[in-house]
Amino acid sequence: MKSRLFLKVFGTYFIIVILSLSVVTLLVSGEIRKSMIAKIEDELTTDARIIDLNSIKEIKTKIKQMADISNSRVTLIAETGKVLADSERDVAMLENHLNRPEIQEARVKGKGRATRFSKTVGVDMLYVALSLKSGPDIIGYVRLARPLYEVKHSVEKVYQSFFTAILLILPFSLIIAFIFSYRLIAPVKAMEQFTEKLRKGDVSGTLMVRTSDEMKQLASNINYLVTELQDKIRLANEEKGKLIAAFASMTEGVLVLDNEDRIEIFNRAFRHMVASQYGDVVGKTLIEAFRNIELQKTFDRFKSSGKPATQELTLGETMPIILDVSISAIKGVPGEEKTMIVFHDVTRLKKLEKMRVDFVANVTHEIRTPLTAILGFIETLQEGAIEEKETAQKFLEIIARHARRLNRLVEDLLTISDIELGEMQFFFESVSLSGILDNVLPVVEPRVGEKKMTLLKTLPEDLPPIRADRDRLVQIFLNVLDNAIKFTPESGKVSISASLEEDGHVAVRIADTGVGIPRDEVSRLGERFYRVDKTRSRELGGTGLGLSIVKHLMTAHGGRMEIESQLGQGTTVSLYFPVMDDGARVSEI
Amino acid sequence: MEERRHTSTHYERELQEVKNGLIYVGALTEKAIRSAMASLLERDSDLARQVVAEDDQIDAIDMELEEKCIRLLALRQPAARDLRFITTAIKINGHLERIGDMAVNIAQKAIILNEEPQLKPYIDLPRMADITREMIKESLDALVNEDTDLANRVRNAENTVDCLNDQIFRELLTFMMEDPRTIHRAILIMQISKNLERIADHAKGIADMVIYMVTGESVRHQFPAETETESP
Repeated sequence: MKSRLFLKVFGTYFIIVILSLSVVTLLVSGEIRKSMIAKIEDELTTDARIIDLNSIKEIKTKIKQMADISNSRVTLIAETGKVLADSERDVAMLENHLNRPEIQEARVKGKGRATRFSKTVGVDMLYVALSLKSGPDIIGYVRLARPLYEVKHSVEKVYQSFFTAILLILPFSLIIAFIFSYRLIAPVKAMEQFTEKLRKGDVSGTLMVRTSDEMKQLASNINYLVTELQDKIRLANEEKGKLIAAFASMTEGVLVLDNEDRIEIFNRAFRHMVASQYGDVVGKTLIEAFRNIELQKTFDRFKSSGKPATQELTLGETMPIILDVSISAIKGVPGEEKTMIVFHDVTRLKKLEKMRVDFVANVTHEIRTPLTAILGFIETLQEGAIEEKETAQKFLEIIARHARRLNRLVEDLLTISDIELGEMQFFFESVSLSGILDNVLPVVEPRVGEKKMTLLKTLPEDLPPIRADRDRLVQIFLNVLDNAIKFTPESGKVSISASLEEDGHVAVRIADTGVGIPRDEVSRLGERFYRVDKTRSRELGGTGLGLSIVKHLMTAHGGRMEIESQLGQGTTVSLYFPVMDDGARVSEI
Repeated sequence: MEERRHTSTHYERELQEVKNGLIYVGALTEKAIRSAMASLLERDSDLARQVVAEDDQIDAIDMELEEKCIRLLALRQPAARDLRFITTAIKINGHLERIGDMAVNIAQKAIILNEEPQLKPYIDLPRMADITREMIKESLDALVNEDTDLANRVRNAENTVDCLNDQIFRELLTFMMEDPRTIHRAILIMQISKNLERIADHAKGIADMVIYMVTGESVRHQFPAETETESP
């Protein structure tokens, strides 16, 4: 466990144990030494007093004997400090002893003592001196000295037992210190690891601590904070998820610019709208990415005014679309303002708007033309032409023709509006194609004959019946055949063929050898009032609604209309009808 | 310019502004060419007059950009890459301004041509215009992405435009020889073709500068089969 905190705590325990044991040892040894020295001192004093009772002469002679009895070195010192006799040394060798501390003390107090290290013996010596008095005068001193072997031994013993004690106690105390510091450190360590995990972003789990002191409180506080954090993160993630979902599923294109006005992100809708036409745009500025002057101008306007800016513009290289663009700021940290640009695709809207405007213009035009003619001729009649029988008859015919055209137009418009509003009633039934064509063809045959055209009908024998409304079917064929005959020059050819398609539809193809339609206008056929050749078609008496009605009726039948055409070669209109679904026919295919 | 990190972000912003300005002018010239050609093909003289009027805008931004570049040179004393970028920008700016003028020329010719019946259906001319416009766009793409490959493609495309120009010239020559009354219109159309060819030259010039900016090598006068046909 490489914990510095652990080392600190454990080290402190260790030092405390050693220190307390040392102090105890020192105190005990000091006390022992003191009491032993006092005892020896008492002994020596007693002995000295006994010696004291003798005269100096006697002492001098019996000094060896006295030394043996008292088990010490006995020295007799004259009042001047001169050594008179010594039990162990030659007197001549010894210097004046007056300055020795024990002698000085004895001179003043009558008794003196001192402990000194003796170089000769190599151990501490205890000296005790008494003054020899004759009346009030000091006549000399007697000094007893004993080496303190015993004391030294005793103290060494104490030290020995101290070391023994240390050896005995230390492992235990260390183990205890270890356990104690470990238990103190473990929760701290656990918290440290837990918070480290948090710091790295993992906010799962709870902190478990097996204590009941302040650590426990701290741990529970941390747990509380973590729970709070988890809640906050969950909330933030939820919000983020919602935003991302909204961002991704929005039908509006959204583009976010960073604070350096470079494209940061955009959503899927925007990619589908235009971004896919521009390659990699992330990290570029608007003008770099889109090269659009209007967009840049709008952005500049937004930047300089600081207010949201909106603009309608066209974007896209290969597939231009009309967009409603609005630019606004995303308020964030100051200096980190981002910009959000929302693109709303209004191409369809614009197209519908244009169609509506066109429709109104067309209807009014279509209505006005015959009306003008009718009014004009009526006025001429009123101004007197009515008197001329022949002219009047001619004018009335013209008026009638225009009125009929007006009527036809209104009827066609009503048909379309009925279909579009879903108010037209259809009676679907099993219809045989050849039967219907047998009804229709006689109607158009006179005009075919007039233009010296050939009308061919080739239907396979085994064609299944189709699901259709008989009356509407007649209307569809009449409209298509009418067109085919109208736009085919004299002695041309119109052929009707049919086949069963793989997708289960019966296809009826009406092909002519007429003027044909330019390629880029084919897709616009079926739009109301759309005419390829504006002037000629009207001359031929069309309302401009024929194919539009066919298209609508085909859709109502659950089928479709397709037109192929080659300019100058002819046009083929293919009508796809669903087969009458009685099961048997379908399973055979 | 992502890898470049300047201590002064303001400086960086100024460089980006110059770049944005160039692309903006580029977009304007592209639009001018498109409109000028449309005015010719759809015989819409109003559109042509609009092109002439809008050239002032190109000129104004052109002057502004040049001033910005000179100020940057004087105040920031750029070195190495930035220096190359700014000098390049000044040159590209010049090219774009000239392209704008060419578009105006085309528009003016279109106005005159629209007064008279159309000489012949235009086939090669719109193709030429499309290619030159694409060249301008791609040369600026190369500038944005610092893409030398794309710049080289632009330089190669110039040949195609030259060929188309020659072809138009030959075709119109036959018209003029057959019927002297067509000479006036034919010459106008030739001038338009010439203008488009010059625009392609300028687009190539931009591509050259982009290569110089990225690599530091000048490739201006080392083009295989470069046909330097100045003055009509």
